[in-house]
Amino acid sequence: MQNAKDSFYMALRTRLTAINPERTILLRGAVRPGILVEEAEAPLSQLPNDVFVLRWMGLATDMDLASTMAVEQCEIVYQTCGTQSFGGLDRGRTLSEMDEELIAMLQPFFTPKLNYSATPPAAMLTQVFWDEPAFGPMTVNRDLLGRSASVMVYSYQEQGE
Amino acid sequence: MSDTAPRNPRGAPQMLADALLRSAAGATALLRVTTASTDTSMSEVGLVATTFAEVPVSPVLMRKLRPSWQEGGQSQWELLVSATSVEYQVNALDLASAQALFAMTLAVTVAGQDYLIESIASNEAFGQVYLYRLLLREARQQAV
Repeated sequence: MQNAKDSFYMALRTRLTAINPERTILLRGAVRPGILVEEAEAPLSQLPNDVFVLRWMGLATDMDLASTMAVEQCEIVYQTCGTQSFGGLDRGRTLSEMDEELIAMLQPFFTPKLNYSATPPAAMLTQVFWDEPAFGPMTVNRDLLGRSASVMVYSYQEQGE
Repeated sequence: MSDTAPRNPRGAPQMLADALLRSAAGATALLRVTTASTDTSMSEVGLVATTFAEVPVSPVLMRKLRPSWQEGGQSQWELLVSATSVEYQVNALDLASAQALFAMTLAVTVAGQDYLIESIASNEAFGQVYLYRLLLREARQQAV
């Protein structure tokens, strides 16, 4: 299941680099694409703005198949205060841009499953695939607009996993 | 009466804060900071053990905040940190600001106990920060 989570994140990260190379974050001394896995970073007291944060939530398995299928729920959280040049008045537009970027990042709804614990990452036999995102309502916290989208990520368990 | 001392009067609040911290406790805190990783993709998914450096700041003063008595809640602490020492480390690490230093800090160690930073505030006088106040909570035990 970890391989599916890693592959999903790396797919989104690669696609974000192509969709909006300007969306970056300075984290742990490195400039990276503006997407991160919450559980692989230092505990965040506040979510960073203008960045996609992946949070792994639910887990279910279907064992009535030739290979066990794992379904994991990924919550993608993002928020923005808008831009300085517009005094934050464009925060609605900025959130819409992030909505569109997320939709674009999730397409196509599959990616090859790779084992990232090997160097270089080793391709596995199956793919990771996912549903269309279920967007939650926009949350307003004074000048901060945020949203979360839930994506169900499916993968087959392979030998050795 | 005017201050005729030859030293820069703007540094007085910093010196006063340092003297008070040193006389009240004079402890040392270690900021555990991450070093820049060369293989970002592996470290981004928690595969590569990040290398850490411990940055000492001194003098500091630790004080416990009033407990809120919530079930399962953790104690919160306030760490008063000398701005002079923070400024020294910011220059030594060639960072842009103190915020950059705190942003790359994973944990703060005081007397062998690890704490996580909840929020950061600073006190200023004459446009110069003389004290940083870090709101901390105790870090949970991690697997060896």
